[in-house]
Amino acid sequence: MAPRQGTVFKLAWPLKTIIQRFAFLALISLSIALLLLGKANIAVVEKLRTTTTDVLSPVLATISQPVDAFNQAVERVQKLTNIVEENERLREENARLLKWQAVGRSLSQENENYRQLLNALSDPLVLPITARVVGDSGGPFVRTLLLNAGRRDGVREGQAVVGPLGLVGRIAEAGEKSARVLLLTDLNSRIPAVLENSRYKGILVGNNSSSPTLEFLPTNAVVSPGDRVVTSGDGGMLPAGRPIGIISSVGERKIRVQTFTDWNRLEYVSVLRYDLPGMNSPYDNPGDMGESRLGGK
Amino acid sequence: MTPTFAYQFNRILRGSLPGFLTAVLALLSVVPTGISGFAVVTPSFVAISVFYWSIHRPYLMSAPLVFLLGIFSDFLTGAPLGLSSLGLLLIHGIAVSQRRVFVGKAFLLTWSGYLMIAFAVAMISWIVACLYSLSIMPLMPILTQFVLSLLVFPLFAWGFGILQNNVLKHT
Repeated sequence: MAPRQGTVFKLAWPLKTIIQRFAFLALISLSIALLLLGKANIAVVEKLRTTTTDVLSPVLATISQPVDAFNQAVERVQKLTNIVEENERLREENARLLKWQAVGRSLSQENENYRQLLNALSDPLVLPITARVVGDSGGPFVRTLLLNAGRRDGVREGQAVVGPLGLVGRIAEAGEKSARVLLLTDLNSRIPAVLENSRYKGILVGNNSSSPTLEFLPTNAVVSPGDRVVTSGDGGMLPAGRPIGIISSVGERKIRVQTFTDWNRLEYVSVLRYDLPGMNSPYDNPGDMGESRLGGK
Repeated sequence: MTPTFAYQFNRILRGSLPGFLTAVLALLSVVPTGISGFAVVTPSFVAISVFYWSIHRPYLMSAPLVFLLGIFSDFLTGAPLGLSSLGLLLIHGIAVSQRRVFVGKAFLLTWSGYLMIAFAVAMISWIVACLYSLSIMPLMPILTQFVLSLLVFPLFAWGFGILQNNVLKHT
């Protein structure tokens, strides 16, 4: 594509430079305009974004498969080296957990009896949709995940996402075949939370670091490191009582929370399809699939 | 003599290589690796690619293409739309205007050029991101990403160099 030397070219040269300069400045301005517009959540932009992730999520799923396989192989080899100790430990843990299971069963039965005595409403139905993590945030500015499940699988904006150990975040955008999760560590994440034992309520605020802070607690709340933090279910958007993490440090102004979720090993997560009582429109209700047990039809 | 269709087609295919390669790198940078903390500090492969091709084949890495690649990578990562475009366009603009300094000189000069430009753009992106979210973002991940990008730069430059000499020699 070497430029041909000729009179026309020589004449056009300054003009070409001017156009190029202009195009460059125009594109810079366009980027800044997009940044400003992005604050407003314009429908067309959202649509474009979800369409792009819809198209790319199968590609990403394919690329991430060998990476996952490799990681699993490495993990297997690591596990093989201490298989005897691991087995011993798991046996002990299993014995302990079996006792807990017996306790749990009898408590759950007792709870059910009391509920019937009081004629209390049961919690809304929660159904998990398991999805593969096909993409991560790939940069320092946001904390998000890309899932290979979308609206056609029942994923809606606002639904809670949980991992094997605890809450991961919430669905921020749902495409047809893909969805983006806003992790609870992201700067924009706000999760209503409650201290499990003392029942003080607060808001878990993400700050782009690995330990979000618990804010808006009542001024007389007594908090100490080691307290368990779970979702409060306030606002009705998330199911109550899902584990989030433990209080790791109580500072002068900041109460930090260490999350249960292991952020590096999220291969599969569950999106909680959650029937909100009284919200029967499939557009408003983050989980309504026409299976609502509450709310009159 | 007008070039044959096959020749034209071949030339277009070869010419689209830098853009295509950059898009693939954008995809690769969001693949979950399972490495502790890597998702946050993944080196900016896209920025390296844009910098390299802006110096060595500026007409194959034009400003509109850089803009589209930025939008593409913002869509993928979920970052504020336009943030990557702005950063990549700045890298492209500086690299193209200073390419006489880099072309045909020692690799160390290109590397130090990347150091300065990438650092400046990382800081600008940080300021823009802070303004966007109206809060102070942790600076550490951004600096770590910058250092990691700097460390992998020679590897990518070497790979791109091989491609350039074999596939894009006459374009």
